[in-house]
Amino acid sequence: MMSVNNGGMQTGQDTAPNGTARASWERTNTLSNPPTKHLKSPKPQNAITIAVSSRVLFNMDKEQQIYEQKGVEDYLKYQIEHETEPFGPGPAFPFVKALEAVNTRLRELYPESEELFDVVLMTNNHAHVGLRLINTINHHRLFIERFCMTGGNSPIGYLKAYHTNLYLSADPMKVREALEEGIAAATMFNPPEKRTEVSETQLRVAFDGDAVLFSDESERIFKAHGLDKFFEHEKAHENTLLDHGPLKGFLESLGKLQKRFYAKGQRMDCPIRTYLVTARSAASSGTRALKTLRSWGLDTDEALFLAGAPKGPMLEKIRPHIFFDDQMFHVEGAAELGTVAAHVPYGVAQKRPQKKPAEENAKDSSAAAK
Amino acid sequence: MDSMVRNPDVKQRDAAQAVVVAVSSDAIFDPEVEQVHGATEPLRKGDAFSFMKAIQVVNERLLTMNSDETLLFDVILLSNDSEEKHSRIIASAKHYGLDIGRFCFCNKEDSIESLQSNKVKLFLSTDTKDVCKALQKGVPAALLFRQTDPHHQTEDQLKVVFSGDVIGSSEEMLHGLREQGFTETQLQGFKTAKGSVKEFAVLMGEMRRRFGLEGSPLCTGLMTVWSSRDVCASALKTLRGWGLLVDEAFCMAGAPRSPILNLVQPHILCLDGLYHMEGFTAMS
Repeated sequence: MMSVNNGGMQTGQDTAPNGTARASWERTNTLSNPPTKHLKSPKPQNAITIAVSSRVLFNMDKEQQIYEQKGVEDYLKYQIEHETEPFGPGPAFPFVKALEAVNTRLRELYPESEELFDVVLMTNNHAHVGLRLINTINHHRLFIERFCMTGGNSPIGYLKAYHTNLYLSADPMKVREALEEGIAAATMFNPPEKRTEVSETQLRVAFDGDAVLFSDESERIFKAHGLDKFFEHEKAHENTLLDHGPLKGFLESLGKLQKRFYAKGQRMDCPIRTYLVTARSAASSGTRALKTLRSWGLDTDEALFLAGAPKGPMLEKIRPHIFFDDQMFHVEGAAELGTVAAHVPYGVAQKRPQKKPAEENAKDSSAAAK
Repeated sequence: MDSMVRNPDVKQRDAAQAVVVAVSSDAIFDPEVEQVHGATEPLRKGDAFSFMKAIQVVNERLLTMNSDETLLFDVILLSNDSEEKHSRIIASAKHYGLDIGRFCFCNKEDSIESLQSNKVKLFLSTDTKDVCKALQKGVPAALLFRQTDPHHQTEDQLKVVFSGDVIGSSEEMLHGLREQGFTETQLQGFKTAKGSVKEFAVLMGEMRRRFGLEGSPLCTGLMTVWSSRDVCASALKTLRGWGLLVDEAFCMAGAPRSPILNLVQPHILCLDGLYHMEGFTAMS
C-alpha cells in the first residue's frame, strides 16, 4: 500500500509523484468514468508531444463565423448553449486518430514505456468552451487528457512548457510564432471536400524536402536563378550537406518510434510510414537530399522525386494523414485531390514582406513550375 | 488578542459586503532583508507587491463603474511582528500608497483566531504551511504565488487560479483515496477546504461578472494537476454552479505544473489538499 505523507514526498518541483500512487489514483477515476478507457499520460519529456488547436482538431466553422460576425460574447453564449452537441472532426482529426493507433501498438509491445505520442489540446479559446470541447473528446473517444485553454492569450509560451514536438493550428500567425521559437509547426485548413480515405491502422506522414526537412537555401537558388540553375547547383554541391529545416526533428521522432517496432520484428507491419515528396529530380538534385538525410541518420520509407511535376496525384496514391509543404501552391494542389496538407510558413517561399519585394512578385509564376 | 489599527489614508470599506482579504505582512514587505531597529526608511517590497497593485486596479475599476460599489477587496495586513516594527509597517504602507484598510497586529499563535473573528474571506500567505494550517482550521486560505519573473509581473490584472482536483472529484473518488493511504483527518481537511474555496469562488464569480469578457482587470482560472479531463470538466461545472465561469483552464494530467504556472503567473492560487500533497513548498 502506498502511504502518502505531508512532507518529504517530492524534492524537485518538476517531478511527477511516484508512479504507483498516480496509477492508483487514476484507477479510482476509472471507476467513476467507465466508458473512457483510462490510461496514464506520459511525462512530456518522454513523449512525442503533438499540440493541436481546437479548430484543427474539430470542425468549428459555424462557431468561427459567429465569432467573426458577432463577437466574442455571442460566440461564447452559442458555445455554452450547444455544449452537449459534439463538434465534427477537423482536418487534424484523422491524423490524431492514427497517432492513437500507433500508441495502442506501442503499448502492446512496450507496456511500461512512456515513449508514446501525447496529444495536447492547445487553444486560446476561453474556458467557457471547455465543457463542449471535453464532451466532444469523449464523444469521439479520443485519448486527449491534457489541455491549455488560455482565454484569449497566446498559447505559444505553453508549447515550450510542454516540450512540444509539433504544433498544428488554423492560425498562421501562431504557427509562424512557433517556428520562430524553434518549434515544428504547420497551418491547417478546412479538409478537402472529397477526402481520400486514409488508414486507421497505419500512420502515414509525407514531407516536402526543401524548407521543410531541409533549410530553404536551395530554394533561394531556384528563386533567384530558376529551375535549371537549381538542378545544376544541387548536382555540383551533391556532397555538401543541406542545413536542417523546421520539421527535421519531427521526422527524427517518427524514425525513433519506427525503430522500436523494428526491434520487435515488426518492420513489415510497422504502423508508421514516412514519405519524402519533393520537386527535386532523382537524376540530379535528389542525391543531395538523400545524402543529407543519411548523414543525419534519418530516412523515409519512400522518397518520391517529382522533378517539378505536381504533387497532388502522387499524394493521392500515398494517402498520407498529413502532408507538410512550405508552398501554399502545393498545399492547395494536394487538397484539390483529397489530401490533408499543412503549410509550413518557413523560408523564402513565403508571401511575408521581404527585403527584396521585386523578387517576391516574380516568384508566383516560377513557383508553379517547381 | 490582537490590535486593529485603521488606516486613515484609505477609505474604509463595508466589511460585511466587501471581500475581506488578510495578507501576511511578510508577504507585503520583505522579511528577509536586514531591517534596522527604529530605522525610518520604508520597508523593502515583498512578494505580494504586484498582488497589492493588481487588487487596487480591480477596486478602482469597480468604483469607476459604480461609485457606490460595496463588493470591493478590503485588505487587512496581518502582522506577527514585534511592537517596534508596527509604526514602520504602517508608514511603509502609506509610503507605497497601498490600499490596506486595516492593520492587525497579533502573536503568531493568535493569528487563526484573529482571522476568524474578523470574518476574513481569504487569508493569503506565501508560506504553504500557514495556508494549510488555516485551511485545516476552517479559515479560507490561499497561496500568494511567488511570481518568479520580477520584470513581467502583472500589476494591471489580478489573476486568481483555483486548483480543481478536489473540486472536480466525486464523493466516491475522494473515498477511494483512503486506499492511497490518506488519513481520515486529511480527507476531512479536503472537505473543509472545498467548503472554504466555494465561498471565495462565489465572490470571485460575482466580481468577475461585473466586467466584460475582454479587458477585465480580474482574470480567473482553473487548473487540475493529477486528474483526468473528466474531473476537470466536473470542476468546471461545479465552479459554474457556484457562479464562476473561469477564463482559463488547464488540465495537466500529471505533467509538471510549474512551467505552466510560471507562464500563467497567478497572484492567488487556491489550493486543495491534493495539490498540497506533493511537496508544494518546492513551488516557491
